[in-house]
Amino acid sequence: MTLLDINGLKTYYRADNGWVRATDDVSLSIDRGETVGLVGESGSGKTTLAKSIIRLLSDNAEIVDGSINFDGTEVTELSDKELRKQIRWSEISMIPQNAMNGFDPVYTVGQQIVQVIRHHEDGTSKKEARERARSLFDELGIEPDRVDDYPHQFSGGMAQRAMIALALALSPSLVLADEPTTALDVVIQDRILDTIKEMQEELNSAMIMITHDMSVVSETCDRIAVVYGGRIVEIADTETIITNPRHPYTLGLRNAFPDINDDDQELISIPGTPPELVDPGEGCRFAPRCPFAEQECWEETPEAESYGDGHAVECHRADEIDHLQEEAGKKETWTEQDLGRPEDSQSDQPEEVMLDD
Amino acid sequence: MGLRAYVVRRVLQLIVTFWAFFTILFVLFRMMPGDPTSMFIMDGMTPEQREQRIAELGLNEPLHVQYVEYARQLLRGDFGQSFIYRDPVIDIIAVRFMNTIVLMGTALLFAYLIGITFGAIMGWWRDSRFERGGIIVTLVARSSPEFWVGIVLLSVFVFWLGWFPSSGMRTTGGELGGNFAARYGSVDFLRHLFLPALTGAIAYLATPTLLMRSTMLDVLNADFIEIKKAEGLPERTVLFKHAARNSVLPLVTVMAIATGSAMGGSVVIETVFNWPGMGREMVNAVNNNDYPLAMAAFFLMGSVVIIMNFVADLAYVYLDPRVEYE
Amino acid sequence: MSTERTSPTDRTETDGGTLEFIRSKLEIFEGDRLGQIGLGILCSFILIGIFARPYTIDFLNLTIPGLAPHDPAERAVGGRLESPSGAHPLGTTHMGRDVLSQLIAGTRVTLIVGSLAAFMAVFIGTNVGLISAYFGGWVDDVLMRITDIVYGVPFLPFAIVLVAILGSSIVNIIVAIVLILWRSTARVIRAQVLSHKQRPYVESAQAIGASHTRIMYRHILPNVLPLTFLYAAFAVAWAVIAEASLSFLGFGDPNMLSWGEMIYNVYTANAIREAWWWVFPPGICIMLFVMSVFFIGRTLEKEVNPELQHQ
Ligand code: SF4
Repeated sequence: MTLLDINGLKTYYRADNGWVRATDDVSLSIDRGETVGLVGESGSGKTTLAKSIIRLLSDNAEIVDGSINFDGTEVTELSDKELRKQIRWSEISMIPQNAMNGFDPVYTVGQQIVQVIRHHEDGTSKKEARERARSLFDELGIEPDRVDDYPHQFSGGMAQRAMIALALALSPSLVLADEPTTALDVVIQDRILDTIKEMQEELNSAMIMITHDMSVVSETCDRIAVVYGGRIVEIADTETIITNPRHPYTLGLRNAFPDINDDDQELISIPGTPPELVDPGEGCRFAPRCPFAEQECWEETPEAESYGDGHAVECHRADEIDHLQEEAGKKETWTEQDLGRPEDSQSDQPEEVMLDD
Repeated sequence: MGLRAYVVRRVLQLIVTFWAFFTILFVLFRMMPGDPTSMFIMDGMTPEQREQRIAELGLNEPLHVQYVEYARQLLRGDFGQSFIYRDPVIDIIAVRFMNTIVLMGTALLFAYLIGITFGAIMGWWRDSRFERGGIIVTLVARSSPEFWVGIVLLSVFVFWLGWFPSSGMRTTGGELGGNFAARYGSVDFLRHLFLPALTGAIAYLATPTLLMRSTMLDVLNADFIEIKKAEGLPERTVLFKHAARNSVLPLVTVMAIATGSAMGGSVVIETVFNWPGMGREMVNAVNNNDYPLAMAAFFLMGSVVIIMNFVADLAYVYLDPRVEYE
Repeated sequence: MSTERTSPTDRTETDGGTLEFIRSKLEIFEGDRLGQIGLGILCSFILIGIFARPYTIDFLNLTIPGLAPHDPAERAVGGRLESPSGAHPLGTTHMGRDVLSQLIAGTRVTLIVGSLAAFMAVFIGTNVGLISAYFGGWVDDVLMRITDIVYGVPFLPFAIVLVAILGSSIVNIIVAIVLILWRSTARVIRAQVLSHKQRPYVESAQAIGASHTRIMYRHILPNVLPLTFLYAAFAVAWAVIAEASLSFLGFGDPNMLSWGEMIYNVYTANAIREAWWWVFPPGICIMLFVMSVFFIGRTLEKEVNPELQHQ
């Protein structure tokens, strides 16, 4: 059953030299209880996409087109007040990258959990809310008495657990997790991911997991959407993305985290940086960095092509899958390409636009 | 270091500061020109009487004896006798000290209330017309010395509009008598208080406003502000309960410095408005070489500042759970 | 976003001529309306201050006329308390002196007090902060305790007492101001130097065996200099306000009429209710002067603190 249905979403930022198209014509739907990964480098627009869903955008950003249908409610049309009452936290909550900074340092964690519970549930007394915070802590493996601690008294992993407690306090139907484990060391990372997974299954919440780390999504997600240049360039179930991707960018990302498919494989990173998204014009946005770019790629924006089972790819050469996969595994393919347009090699080197920070 | 050790260390520092301040005070006033008896000579004082008077005041003793003696007196709360009033200084200064505290306390309270609110809103609405205009207004206020603000307010509200009394603390006089409630508890008093307090508020508004604004800008970039918005809390709650609450911390430290300016400013504001306080009394005392009185006033002003510094440090520890007692 | 940060590396070398250097420094005022206004007002005051009174160059037998139409101290150039007219654009005092001339002459006092006091205060403050932070340990302890103690001394009352003791002269006023004003610079510079002490360039200078003085003044100082300038601007403002307040209370230099003293004279002449032309011009001048310095300070602040520059 569809919980969230995003259609043709465009979220742009005003910049000095025009509109930055951070999310450009994106469609995505998510079922109840499903976990979808948004994967891409920083600057790809994945965070903007996620934040658009609860309209948590900075002042210079605007949803210029498209619809976001959440459980029958059109989010783009809600007033600020309705948005705060009906959607934010009660239905959609989030887990930030660095939990330590996600808590207000001058209140205890318990006070902050109690505050959000009581804000959304009129009848709940302070005492009840506090009891709930304590039992959430207990379930997440934190000593319940620590609700009275200040954020700075927690370790990184504990703070992340506390943040999960906060995010799940109102049993939301969707959780937006923005790189929830990158700030932690590897051992703790796994444990936190397991915890998130467990809790999510228990509450039957859907989740959007935003990350640049292929291994994180492969462990936790049902489906994966690969985001590049403000668009979803490939989407499929996790299995397909890992074993049988069709987009060169996905192939590249997979190389950057070799442990997920083949232990012997070398780590190969994609040269270059994500494109500047001010008036990108025609053509595939990955073309400047794509080792397989052809003339056509520069001239025509690829349309999404379906390959069955909800697998969709935006690439002109997605049909040549076998050849591409083989080439992409070789290091030379990525290192020995000249970036830029074939005719005028002096095309503006894209500058990094940090949309995700 | 634990909280307790920190407090102990801070108390020791406080004592050392007081001692140093006292020493500066003593040295300064022994350097003062004019014999303290000179003003009595005109009254036909004979040289013998003069000698006797100097001995009475202990001024013929060696300096270090005077120093110890003066310290001992101060510890007993005895500031000596005023040369002019010929009364114990403590009797003269006590009421005036209260008058000054009431006036400057009101001024600072308003400066901070207005400053924190305006600064918070300026930071919240950054790059708005409100912010830009606010900065200019604040800088103009900061550029005006207390006496100039006072004169402008006097000209507008007293000479031109005639809304407020021009000077003093009460229409009927008797400003130095009565108990606390009788002195400060009337509408007439509030009417007299309004302009001088407003003068102080305007003069001291800038620091809290600008500091609040700039810390707000920092705090608003913090992740937790975004989370609080995502939690669906109303803007007002995010602005005041979280953003402003976090931005107030640095203000606690400048609060002490503001008290310092206010103590100094009282000298000027009380002169402009003829407020029967310690500041005006000090100017008179200095002009008349009445140095027991001037010294006491100076000592009290410094004490207020030193104690405020101390309180501010402790308050900071209390307000910010993250502080390490380094 | 690519905010251009002043690199925290060694900034000891200044190539290019002095003019080029000044031009590069003035660039920070570009697109900053308030800063430009401040700079404009301040420059006008400086010009007025310089040309306030006539100059005679003897060997050329030349006299450059001053801006002040009358001798500010000369009595009865007009009637008593005349309101503004063509002959006396800002009216006259109770002694029949010309207010405009007094105002123009007063600019000089403001400039002298502002620049000298600020320079000395910032000089002391910077050195205290630098030495304190660089050497640390007991040196730091002692210097910072002294700074704390000075923070406990109320500025204006102290200045009043000191001027009463030493006598009302402009030099004593400046001394009184400087003795207090250095404290804030010391604290701020100390904090800044502490953060610089950890940077690689200091370590590498130590590694090649540079002396303490050399590291402090050739390597660290240039990096904290922008902050020093900022505090110098603030010091000018506070010094001018302090001088004006002292003069207003009657402790000004009787031989050098300042704006604050003009207002004191209005008070003692009991003319504050009627002679608005005598009260408002000096008050407005003090405010404008200090304001111009604060506007410039704001521009410098953005340079020192690039995070504020998001606009
Ligand atoms: S469309 Fe062309 S440039 Fe774009 S990813 Fe496919 S092959 Fe590469």
